[in-house]
Amino acid sequence: MSEIAIELQGLRKNFGFAEIIRGVDLSIEKGERHAIIGPNGAGKSTLFNLITGKFHVSGGTIKMHGDPVENLKPFEINRRGLSRSFQITNIFPKMTVFENIRCGLLWTMGYKYSFWTLVNRQAGLSERTDEILEQINMSDRRNELAGVLTYAEQRALEIGITIAGGADIIMLDEPTAGMSHSETENIVELIRGVTEDKTLVMVEHDMGVVFNLADRISVLVYGQIIASDTPENVRADVNVQEAYLGTAIDAEH
Amino acid sequence: MSVVKQDSAGSRIANPLITVSQFAPWFVVIVFLSLLPVIFTSGAALTIMNQMAITIIFALAYNMLLGQGGMLSFGHAVYMGLGGFFCVHLMNMIEYDGLWLPLPLLPFFGGLFGLVFALIIGTFSTRRAGTVFAMISLGVGELIAASSIIVVVFFGGEEGISGDRTMGPETFGLDFASQLEVYYLTAFWLVISALAMYLFSRTPVGRMANAVRDNEERAEFLGYSQRNVRFISFCASGFFAGIAGGIFAINFEILTEENLNLATSGSILLITFLGGVGFFVGPIIGAIVFTFLQTVLSLYTEIWQLYLGTLFLLTVMFFPFGLTGLIAMHMRPYQLGKISLLVKPYLRMAIPGIVCVLSFSSLLEIAFHAKHAAIGEEHMSLFGFGFNSYNILLWLVVLVLSIGSGWLCKRLAVGVREAWDEANFVEPRS
Amino acid sequence: MSLLLVNLLDGLVTGLLLFMLCSGLTLIFSMMGVLNFAHASFYMLGAYFAYQISTYVGFWPGLILAPIIVGLAGALVERYGLRRVHKFGHVPELVFTFGLALLIEEIVQFFWGKSHMAYEPPALLNFTALTIAGNGFPAYKVFMIFMAMAIFLVLLYILTRTRVGLIIQAALSYPETVQNLGHNVPLVFMGVFGVGTALAGVAGVIAGPTLGTFPGMAAVLGSIVFVTIVIGGLGSLWGALAASLLIGWLQTFAASYNIVIGDVLVAVGFPMPVNLDDSALRDLWTLTVSQIGPILPYLLMVLVLVIRPQGLFGKRET
Repeated sequence: MSEIAIELQGLRKNFGFAEIIRGVDLSIEKGERHAIIGPNGAGKSTLFNLITGKFHVSGGTIKMHGDPVENLKPFEINRRGLSRSFQITNIFPKMTVFENIRCGLLWTMGYKYSFWTLVNRQAGLSERTDEILEQINMSDRRNELAGVLTYAEQRALEIGITIAGGADIIMLDEPTAGMSHSETENIVELIRGVTEDKTLVMVEHDMGVVFNLADRISVLVYGQIIASDTPENVRADVNVQEAYLGTAIDAEH
Repeated sequence: MSVVKQDSAGSRIANPLITVSQFAPWFVVIVFLSLLPVIFTSGAALTIMNQMAITIIFALAYNMLLGQGGMLSFGHAVYMGLGGFFCVHLMNMIEYDGLWLPLPLLPFFGGLFGLVFALIIGTFSTRRAGTVFAMISLGVGELIAASSIIVVVFFGGEEGISGDRTMGPETFGLDFASQLEVYYLTAFWLVISALAMYLFSRTPVGRMANAVRDNEERAEFLGYSQRNVRFISFCASGFFAGIAGGIFAINFEILTEENLNLATSGSILLITFLGGVGFFVGPIIGAIVFTFLQTVLSLYTEIWQLYLGTLFLLTVMFFPFGLTGLIAMHMRPYQLGKISLLVKPYLRMAIPGIVCVLSFSSLLEIAFHAKHAAIGEEHMSLFGFGFNSYNILLWLVVLVLSIGSGWLCKRLAVGVREAWDEANFVEPRS
Repeated sequence: MSLLLVNLLDGLVTGLLLFMLCSGLTLIFSMMGVLNFAHASFYMLGAYFAYQISTYVGFWPGLILAPIIVGLAGALVERYGLRRVHKFGHVPELVFTFGLALLIEEIVQFFWGKSHMAYEPPALLNFTALTIAGNGFPAYKVFMIFMAMAIFLVLLYILTRTRVGLIIQAALSYPETVQNLGHNVPLVFMGVFGVGTALAGVAGVIAGPTLGTFPGMAAVLGSIVFVTIVIGGLGSLWGALAASLLIGWLQTFAASYNIVIGDVLVAVGFPMPVNLDDSALRDLWTLTVSQIGPILPYLLMVLVLVIRPQGLFGKRET
């Protein structure tokens, strides 16, 4: 019996009268790479925003490592070891690449709200930042402003910021959106590398990426999970094919 | 927009506290400040320099909010003013109640008072940035300014409160009766505060203040509460504003409602923006230029505030990064080795530009004189020329000059723009 | 009792006047996300223009012409100033309008000088409309009440019964989505800014004769207007109305009752300090309610922000 990283029970979210998430039950094991797929408007991003504390839940529970975390603030959830990226690139455009990564490290390396240490005197901090830059292959862009990077580089930087803090649950919201084929290949390898021994939850549209990376897949349709299983079983699932996938999977493979 | 970051120098080993290259500018500043009174010896010059120093500290503190934290305040004079009022009270306690406190330490206590007040106000004002923060700062600022008129015990009502700085225990044999001694005290606090504020921007919370300014959502998902980050910046800013207030109290020995009101809060915004909010040195340049312009212009013309207002508005519209931004813009052509391309278009622009500014201001001056001078005083002088402000021919000449030079500037601007693009052009990497 | 009635009427005048400014400000803020710091300056321009017009052709043409000119000036400011700054973000926009407020004050002084203008109510309305127990209530104030009410009703009609009104309402409720409506957004912005400033202009025209037409008139009202819309809740028209009336009455009542706070404290049971002059709290004991009147709106704002950060009627967390 392995440990459960994230557990959702009867999770609901409505905006006014519109019910977007309609009772989601899901458990994701520690160390698993889990993809959430589903048609547009199924509520994938909303589900992400509920788990990461961006939205308040309307009903149900969210547990992280067994502790309830629903309605905590984003920074509180982050401090419990969950880090996320965004569908729309969300970096610090006026800071250098190096500084972007360093911002992701500050809290977990224990600097917190310190105003008595100087960041450039912290050897460990700079070293760790450079290691992460190495990991995401951006050492040569170290001193560029993040705002002037190419789109694909910004996406990679975003993943770098997300994993920098060493969170053990990584949530990526459409990491390959808008990328070319070769860029996608690079980023998949990057994701595979940086999430070694971690729990990965991702929303993704590219079925190639999903079936390549994920250990398990959940299919979200109209705010409900209609299947949650291994890639093979999901592909074979009649409900899934009817509701959404069928053609898409055949087209990709 | 980003400042040249010294910490990204690329070394992987622990840097020493201050490297030679980092210390060099500060050393130059210290030497420069020490020599200034030797060059400018007059009392008026000392007064202006002290004024500048106080404004620099206040503007730097203000920029901790606006430039580094993304918080636009319309009521920051309150923290400087309260620090100042508190210091005058301390001076009076030294004089009358026998409180033992050397004068040079006074600004520190002003800072503490500013800090305490910022702690109180910050608990609810830093919840959000942007417009809401701006409105709360305005409301609190007006509240304190209006209260200062009616709370006589602390603020002294309309006359304000005054003290005497020379009554304290002598420090190093100084009693601070002379302006020169006050200058050195002011310069000392200027260097200390500027250094401290610079170092603050290099601490974890200082870096995260920038992060929250640029993208508060991302910062929250990195473990930082945007509110706490803003709160800490706000308190630090209140502290340094209080120090500026303390030095003000020492210099002028009197504080009034004017030190708290919207006009003062507004002018520090003006100064900081003029200098450039995105740069650490921006507020310093802004404070020097503004104080200088204010002093000089107000000597020569009644409508100097009209000029400053126009300058400010033009800055916001055309150079939102301020004077420092204007200088920094030229770093790129300089690095590309193409700065020389700009010299000629700039020089060509200079003459009609200067004529344009002078003739427009002449037009304003003549119109103002014609409208407001007492009957029978049609004579006025401008740039050393004396004339009658109702002289139609004169009006025509100035009008033609200003319109003509303005038109010429507009024509030449095309050439400047082309040269600018050329100077910034980089060969695409093959 | 009769004093109460006079105060109620006076407070109503002040409140409605405030609302005229707040409504324009709220419209502009909701549609464009810009808090127009120079709003009260347009109010001042309204008064000055109307005064200038009244010196040539009397009061009544100014009532129509001055707001139109102010509205045009506002539209020009939006077109050539604000739109340029818009791309830099909200903070530079706010800074721009702040600079504009300073500049307008200087321009007014440039043309009209620093003294009060002799802008008077029209002779037609220069009589006492009603007398309540010896307190005269001038006809001009009655006119002000009717004007404000009329403008309020017109605004209400436009907002609820016309197409333009529907767009504006949509913008009020969902500020982010207006851009997607497919309307000519720059033109709508220019129009809204023009109309908003024209509303401020109307307020200036009718307030000028009673509150005085002088270069400081914008500063006197400017901060109060902001405080009012923060209390009412940013972006809420009904909130702006409620808060305007609340502040109108608060100030009027505070100004007319000369109660010493010390007396109240004694009545409640606090002992008066023996040597009051040495007491650190002596201000508290000697102040009168009318003295603290001017700071009441600000106190109210701080209180509201602490207790209910979104304002009285606001939906958005401020």
